Amino acid sequence: MIYAPHSPLLCDIAAHAANNPDKTAVVVGDNRVTYAGLTDNVGRAALFLRSCGLERGDRVMLAANKEVEFIYCYLAAHLLGLVNVVVDSASPQERIDYIVSVTHPALVLGNGISVDGCRPAAFDAIDWSAGETQAAVPAGTTACDVADVMFTTGTTGVPKGVCLSHANVAASARNTNGFIGTDAGDIEALALPLSHSFGLGRLRCVLMAGATIVLVNNFANLKTFFNVIEQEHVTGFGMVPAAWQYIKRLSGRRIARFAEQLRYVEIGSAAMPVEDKRLLMELLPHTRLCMHYGLTEASRALFTEFHAAADHLESVGRPASDRVEAVVLDDEGNAVPDGVDGEICVRGNMVTGSYLLPDDNQGAFFGDWFRTGDWGHRTANGDFFLTGRKKELINVGGEKVSPVAIEQAIKRLGIADCACIAVPDPNGVLGEVPKAFLCRTAGAPCIEEIKAGLTQLLPAHEIPVEWEWVDNIPRTASGKIQRLKLKQ
Amino acid sequence: MDTQVKEIIARVLNVDPGVITDTLCSGDIPQWDSVGNLAVLSTIEQELEVEFPLEDLFDLTSVRSIIDEVNKLTK
Repeated sequence: MIYAPHSPLLCDIAAHAANNPDKTAVVVGDNRVTYAGLTDNVGRAALFLRSCGLERGDRVMLAANKEVEFIYCYLAAHLLGLVNVVVDSASPQERIDYIVSVTHPALVLGNGISVDGCRPAAFDAIDWSAGETQAAVPAGTTACDVADVMFTTGTTGVPKGVCLSHANVAASARNTNGFIGTDAGDIEALALPLSHSFGLGRLRCVLMAGATIVLVNNFANLKTFFNVIEQEHVTGFGMVPAAWQYIKRLSGRRIARFAEQLRYVEIGSAAMPVEDKRLLMELLPHTRLCMHYGLTEASRALFTEFHAAADHLESVGRPASDRVEAVVLDDEGNAVPDGVDGEICVRGNMVTGSYLLPDDNQGAFFGDWFRTGDWGHRTANGDFFLTGRKKELINVGGEKVSPVAIEQAIKRLGIADCACIAVPDPNGVLGEVPKAFLCRTAGAPCIEEIKAGLTQLLPAHEIPVEWEWVDNIPRTASGKIQRLKLKQ
Repeated sequence: MDTQVKEIIARVLNVDPGVITDTLCSGDIPQWDSVGNLAVLSTIEQELEVEFPLEDLFDLTSVRSIIDEVNKLTK
């Protein structure tokens, strides 16, 4: 049995284990874990972490793969008041090295990850059959303690660590469940990555609701995904708009077969074309099609449901619950009237208290209002609309990419100057993709050589899809790249 | 044709050719995600000058099924 009053997430899971111990919590392949089994294994993982000498506040770098042991260890760290640093084990080594350099993890845990100077441990180092499953919470642990540090893309190309408390992560799940309506009767297929705020958030939503989550590697094999929906009687799933483009392209209208079964779909992380929203509404007329607007720093701040918002589908919605507020502010932090564009700012129970590094907090807040960096306005009805983006990030199928990071990588390959911007994906799947402008100089490598070099420096989705040679990169007097000029 | 298709898949996914067995399916390895799968299918179409019928795309989930489809289209 888990007793963790500092963690509303663990409290809810413990309550489900007590009230419905044989209910299936997690399905991974043939492995079905009940809520009682889940809490026992969280206890075993916590005892292992304690045996490693970890103390409250220590950081654990955790490889987030689709493994049930990840879930046990993630929750065990919460139980002991440790801080999870959740990473994708497939991340470029440079990113992992940077995250290590700023988080100083006391332990690196999980399969497929190892870091110099830290003690790596694989999940099989834990005795999952141990009889002892009780681990006590360290004295002084509170809901305001940092539970997770999630890394998000910074505009400068350096990832930013976002500190989320136990209260934050639980509040986001409660806000989301309240809007979507996920409950204990639901069975959700999770094909989103667990290393991202959206996928990890779905996991927390399902476990807090006492529902069942079925882990699926990804959306690549739609036959597998649809088989899971059918065989596990799935009632909901989450996806990014690029996943819907993929599902639509490869499976046509097949998803309509599950129209009477699917109670909800959560969509987020990038803009979705209105025609795609309309098609989903046509194929799934009785399903709650819920799209969130948010960031890792302010998870699921706004929500809209397509059927209910049929006459204003361009809107990104309204605050997710009565514990969340959103306003539009000008550059000085003053509220602007409805209908006037400004920066969308949010506050509420799920908003981060700070970034990991103090420098990242500069300019991040107006008082307690978190600045999203997105431009937009609110209508008199209270609906929010996005009109632009202040931060110069490229959204590749939901993955936020810094143009600066790409430019730095290209320059390392022998290009004197360059600039990257977002352009529409020519294949119509990913929404945006990077385009690189290269300054023509004698002896510069050719584009094929640059592409080959970038495969060693950047993840595949960050490598530009379009390329253009130019005589010079347009810059302001202060040397800042004029990306708008390049877009023209 | 088997070797050509496997070579393209390995190259596009940037993995060791030994990984690309007949029974490997999209989604089985992190590199073969949905974006990787689209890149695999479009590169095979371009380089082997075939066009996968839309109604067949759903079933092209394993290396073997892709090879069989290419063989069918190039007969």
